[in-house]
Amino acid sequence: MTKSETSPSPTATVPRSEAEIAARVKALESILIEKGLMTTEAVDRFAEIYENEVGPQLGAGVVAKAWTDPDFKARLIEDGTKACAEMGIGGLQGEDMVVVENTDTVHNVIVCTLCSCYPWPTLGLPPNWYKQPAYRSRMVREPRTVLRESFDLDVPDSVEIRVWDSSSEMRYWVLPQRPAGTDGMSEKELAALVTRDSMIGVGRPKSP
Amino acid sequence: MRTGTTELGDARRRVEQLITELPGPGGDGEQLSFTEPWELRAFSVAVAAYHRGLYDWSEFQLALIGAIRRWEGDPESAPWSYYERWLEALETVLSGTGVLTGTELDGHAAAVLAKPRTTDHHQARREPVAVDPAR
Repeated sequence: MTKSETSPSPTATVPRSEAEIAARVKALESILIEKGLMTTEAVDRFAEIYENEVGPQLGAGVVAKAWTDPDFKARLIEDGTKACAEMGIGGLQGEDMVVVENTDTVHNVIVCTLCSCYPWPTLGLPPNWYKQPAYRSRMVREPRTVLRESFDLDVPDSVEIRVWDSSSEMRYWVLPQRPAGTDGMSEKELAALVTRDSMIGVGRPKSP
Repeated sequence: MRTGTTELGDARRRVEQLITELPGPGGDGEQLSFTEPWELRAFSVAVAAYHRGLYDWSEFQLALIGAIRRWEGDPESAPWSYYERWLEALETVLSGTGVLTGTELDGHAAAVLAKPRTTDHHQARREPVAVDPAR
């Protein structure tokens, strides 16, 4: 059997948009699941292995730029979507991104209370725990305790914690504070310190 | 909420064993990398389907080599995308085994595109959903 006789429309010659391809992958997965040939959990298990390798480096680049360029930082806080677009970052599900800034008095953390809305153009895929009911409900109820117990992140009592609910219309992510001892570091060096967890608000950037 | 790192590391080693035989990133110890979530999803579906016994890995490997060759041989082809070829290979092996037909997939994909991205979470919330004040 040759490809032209059996397979779906030949992808090599049909340019598809990114959205069309993404839909095709989703469709393929759902057909296999509907036919009982596979489970979402099985696919998740393999995706989990690599989830860190999609995306967060893009968000890290944005954070590093904001740390070194005050004008850019102002634009980023003003309109996250537009500022990210300046760096060529954006796409499906990233239309309305709001960046919330951590300061000496405020610590921000993001959650999606209903499902798993997430600013993936900058942060990549959500980690599995982000999608779990335990994180989604508990983070809203007792953020300080969850940060300490589940993420080893001690937010001092003198700091207010704000929990932001991402929806499909508005997706939040966190601009972490620049770590001490990083004066004179280049944007690239700084970006390497930014972790995915620090942009969710459940961790801090690495120290140099 | 942390995942057992050793278990994850083991799983990763097993997957990487699998892909060393494939053309493209991941072979010869090269780092796998994904730029779009759908790429990782397509990757994971292929690995999961193989683990489920839907095809032999060698069949997938051949299909991927074939898909890449077809792309190379077609002067009109779309810009290079490794995971598009990966998806094509996956479609080829699955239709070869009769699990999937092209029309079925086209129909499903059109339905996915027509559907709003999420139906349950459209309200933008402009204030924090919870605040734990400083004390």
